[in-house]
Amino acid sequence: MRYLRGFSLPAYFWLFIAYLFAPLLVMAAMGLRDSAFIAFPITKWTTHWYADMVFDREMLSALVLSARVAVLSTLIALAVGLPTALLLTRTRGVMRAILVAIVVMPAFLPVVVSSIALRMFISRLGIEPGTAAIVFGHAAGSTPFVAVMALTRLDSMGHNLADAARDLGADEVIVFVRVVLPWLAPALFGAFMFCLLLSFEDFVRSFFLGGFEPTFPVLLFAKLRFGLNPGIAAISTMVLFTTMALGLYAERFTRRRRLRRDDQ
Amino acid sequence: MTRLLVHARDFRAYRALLDLHARAGWFRLSIVAALPVAWIIVANLAPLVQMAMISLYDRYPLAPGTEPQFTLRHYTAFFGRPLYLTAFLRTFVFGTAVTALTLVVVFPIAFYISKVAAPARRTRLLLLVIAPFWVSEVIRSFAWILMLANRGAVNSFASWIGLPGTPYELLYNNVSLTIGVIYLTSLYMLLPLYAALEKIDRSVLEAASDLGAPGWRRFTRIVLPLSREGVVTGCTLVFLLTVGLFAMPQLLGGPNTTMFATTIGQVFAKAGDSWPLGSAFSLILLAAALAYVGLFMLLFQPRRRKTS
Repeated sequence: MRYLRGFSLPAYFWLFIAYLFAPLLVMAAMGLRDSAFIAFPITKWTTHWYADMVFDREMLSALVLSARVAVLSTLIALAVGLPTALLLTRTRGVMRAILVAIVVMPAFLPVVVSSIALRMFISRLGIEPGTAAIVFGHAAGSTPFVAVMALTRLDSMGHNLADAARDLGADEVIVFVRVVLPWLAPALFGAFMFCLLLSFEDFVRSFFLGGFEPTFPVLLFAKLRFGLNPGIAAISTMVLFTTMALGLYAERFTRRRRLRRDDQ
Repeated sequence: MTRLLVHARDFRAYRALLDLHARAGWFRLSIVAALPVAWIIVANLAPLVQMAMISLYDRYPLAPGTEPQFTLRHYTAFFGRPLYLTAFLRTFVFGTAVTALTLVVVFPIAFYISKVAAPARRTRLLLLVIAPFWVSEVIRSFAWILMLANRGAVNSFASWIGLPGTPYELLYNNVSLTIGVIYLTSLYMLLPLYAALEKIDRSVLEAASDLGAPGWRRFTRIVLPLSREGVVTGCTLVFLLTVGLFAMPQLLGGPNTTMFATTIGQVFAKAGDSWPLGSAFSLILLAAALAYVGLFMLLFQPRRRKTS
């Protein structure tokens, strides 16, 4: 056991880290290959793939669409998820269990199933596949996470704060704006970042609900099957580092808040 | 902001609303409930109900002026072609195997971070493991293609150090798909395991070792039973994720590794009565996956001991 603790477990841990990061580093390196084809070993290096891809119109418009969809769907998910959490705090017992189950359902369904269901449903509503449909699909997928994150935070609030504000003469609107919302702010920020990345990464929903304009993962999927070059590795690497940085920032932010709270 | 809201009370309509909010329970409830309930119906329930209906229709979309004919033939079509049944069974076998493998691979990692590493380093190590999971499934598939292709990084390295018989066929088979899928699933196993292991009191382990229990004994008698809830949650999440995979099997798998979710996508996209057929297959996958997971949880979920 001492042997396990001293050497084997740390070694295994760092091996696992290598498994996680090696493919990503290999991809970053491939973006530097001075050739029109993807292959190892790399003998001649260049930075022109990275430089070109920043201005590649097809990639850029896909990235812009992905970002637009991410922001819109996240805002909708927040607007719906917050009242959902408020509603859940007011229910008890079986009613609450059933409601929670229905609210979180989209997070557990196979994504293919919910995407197909939504695809058929929007055609019933008269919405064509396209940006609006993707935004709706992503919002439907993100709302459970917003609701659960906000609900967890609300459950830890207690009645004292709101009651104190009321005793001091605040009406319900003021209580909500000055007490409840600030209390929820870190959870809402965490949910915002989480859903932004969730939507930005999504492939399946965008694939089934999208029109002719591809989001970035859909475009990348098509490129992986036809038309690979080191440029694809370059743009993927840039997207990868951006999303990873955003994710780490959000994770650190929420974790630091939690640690500070535990200290008090 | 507060001053603005205080001044809003100068308006009679605003005061009336506040008054109504204070007196009428239905008003309080409907303010909070209206939007969520409407959303739940439109986004969560109606699409599934409609899907269940369509799966029973003879054909859909309906031709104008015709009545829908109900039939079960889209469900029986599932048994009609071995292609469908093989993909379905393969998905469940693969899902089970990947879940078990992920558990074995990730358990030591979770144990190391939560119990062995210095507490001050825990957050940093955890963030290090979480970082790659902010990257899209398609990008991560691409990264593994670059690793495993015939002229990829692994083969290039193998021939450089002089291993015989290169290039190895590493890509487009069960091995590459399994490696890639564990890459996707390990976080969903790690977080529940970490949460469960973190709660185990270190002194329990020390007591066992003082009483002379060897390492493996401490593991089977203390660590494993106490982390059971995390194991069950992690396995459930990983299994549900794996059986629903759509993109990665197409990118990293070969012709012999088609998963049922991909089959559903192909059936749905085809011409003819693809929508009813796709709906029926979706519901079959959904029902089977939930039944499988439900059975698993029934068998392994730790029961709360009665406090007497």
